[in-house]
Amino acid sequence: MSRLLVVDDEQDICRLFAAELEDEGYQVETAGSAAAAADLLTSREFDLVVLDIQMPGESGLQTLQEIVRDKPDLPVILCTAYSCYKDDFSSWLADGYVVKSSDTSELKNEIARVLDKRRKSMKQ
Amino acid sequence: MQPLCCWHQEQIARHDCPNFRDGDDALLFDRKQRFLQRCLNCHLFIEDLRRLGPETGDLPKLFPFAIEELMTLRGETRTLQGRLDSLERQGSFLREVGQELQSSLDKDSVIAMALTAVTAGEGFDLNRAILLLVNRRSQSLNGYLAIGPRDHNEAGQIWQEIEQQKFSLRDMALRLREEKLSAERAKFKDLLEILSIPLQRTEHLFSQILDSRISTHVTDLAAEPGLDPEQVAALGVREMILVPLISKRRRIGLLLADNLINNRPLGQHDLQALETFAAPVAYAIERAELYERLELELERTTTANQRLKEQQLQILQMEKMALVGRVTADVAHSIRNPLTIIGGNARNLLKTMPQDHIQRTAIDSIVRESRRLEDALEEIILYSEARHPTLDNWDINQILHGVIAGVQDEISQAESSVQLDLASSLPLVRLDFKRTGHCLRSILTQLLQAAQPGSRVLITTRQQQDKIILTFSGSGLNPEQLPEPGHSTPNSNGKSTAIGLALCARILEGQNAAMQIQTDPEGAVLITLGMNLNKGENE
Repeated sequence: MSRLLVVDDEQDICRLFAAELEDEGYQVETAGSAAAAADLLTSREFDLVVLDIQMPGESGLQTLQEIVRDKPDLPVILCTAYSCYKDDFSSWLADGYVVKSSDTSELKNEIARVLDKRRKSMKQ
Repeated sequence: MQPLCCWHQEQIARHDCPNFRDGDDALLFDRKQRFLQRCLNCHLFIEDLRRLGPETGDLPKLFPFAIEELMTLRGETRTLQGRLDSLERQGSFLREVGQELQSSLDKDSVIAMALTAVTAGEGFDLNRAILLLVNRRSQSLNGYLAIGPRDHNEAGQIWQEIEQQKFSLRDMALRLREEKLSAERAKFKDLLEILSIPLQRTEHLFSQILDSRISTHVTDLAAEPGLDPEQVAALGVREMILVPLISKRRRIGLLLADNLINNRPLGQHDLQALETFAAPVAYAIERAELYERLELELERTTTANQRLKEQQLQILQMEKMALVGRVTADVAHSIRNPLTIIGGNARNLLKTMPQDHIQRTAIDSIVRESRRLEDALEEIILYSEARHPTLDNWDINQILHGVIAGVQDEISQAESSVQLDLASSLPLVRLDFKRTGHCLRSILTQLLQAAQPGSRVLITTRQQQDKIILTFSGSGLNPEQLPEPGHSTPNSNGKSTAIGLALCARILEGQNAAMQIQTDPEGAVLITLGMNLNKGENE
């Protein structure tokens, strides 16, 4: 069972994504800020991080850079209300980019794709 | 002894004086004047002197000496008078030319006036004038303009015309400037080219004259070592005056003048006159050139200023748009999060809710409406971004393949099919990939929503002159759900989730693509996009 970390300052979003993703069979932890996410990432192992960009305090793009630096094998999918960050070079470090939607199927598909890719690369 | 001459008579008849001319009537009754003007030159009077008797002593022998001296002095006086008249005419003429040169800021007008003055009968009365000007950038002395006849025939025609028309100096200069300048340039083109030299040729006569700043009268051009033989041959004269045009120590050019046609010998007087004339001409040419440069600089400054203003406006506009973009992004974030939560939770509820649950319809509508709001939000963001497209060259067929791949679910849901008939080897089109792709997807989505099961949407591409024509066509569509030309989304049935066609048309228009929609009540539709090719940029 893959372990996912959902990072979003909106608690309702965290709850919704956790419920949806758990229904898909993932084990989901949530964090309400970049700092909380950093704590969880040092104490536990995850297979993938779903990361919001606009958060109070440290932004998701800064957190992404820290994850890429400290845990280069850990895939990150940016999930944000903004489509414009796709054009931002710093977002290109992420393994996927999904615009938030009430229909979480795109997020689920992206998670499945990234995890599958990771599994294949680990096998090699 | 009767005198042979009439000098002794107080009054005479016309036939009494062999030297009597028309207009001499006053002399018939004025003995003194007749004696001074006619008798002193008369051979009969000299004979009378010789015949005087010895009682007059040696006086008759000396008298002819006095007469000869008187005649010489008279001749000199006449010559001086002529010279004085000529100088007076020249002074008057120089004043006229000077005024013209001082008042004109047009280089060609100045030069036309100067060269006309050199060749005009009222002016320096030389046959041909050639002007060479210094080009500081290329460090060369270039033939600029020459005027005058090339042969006797042309000279006859020109001088006859001037005589008949009674042209003044100003008239001739104006006529040269406005009517004959290019003709004169063309006429002497070969000569002007041959006479042009680089200023590095310090051994050349022209360079030496410019450097020494001394006007020169060359009496035998063929013997002049500083001239090229082909230049001597092209000039076709034996002697010539060369005058440097200098203004405040700056070398402006060289003025050459000769008498190619009448071969009147050139003299010191011609040299001095042209030398005096050269200073104001050089000054006027330099001033006109400076004015020309000033005008050019002014034009450049005005253009730059205009561009600056436009850019300032653009920056202002971009700042406004950036502000709009920021506001839009913030609004999107603020709205999208609650929508995601509302719609997402509703979807989550539906998953576990029995099919016959009494609340299911209500939850369904929450899911549907939140989705519509999300789409509307996407439209707003897309339109905001469309104001600043990122243009690049793209293969329209490749974009269409991407669009089809992205709407496979919609095609399945519509139980319809999409057929492609794409022309190969189409040139690239300059467009914004993201926005164009989104518009094409929206058009196709709308057609699929109107599609009845089993219907087909045909997409074609082809090149037509300087355009790529892209068409979406379908038949057997639900007429109520067909896109309405010029109508913005959502359409009348309110079920459209794609961005409106009017919005698509506007976004595509910003990328040089015109959209047309044709529908009929039977359910057929043809949407045509004409995408302009910009060859310069695409090649």
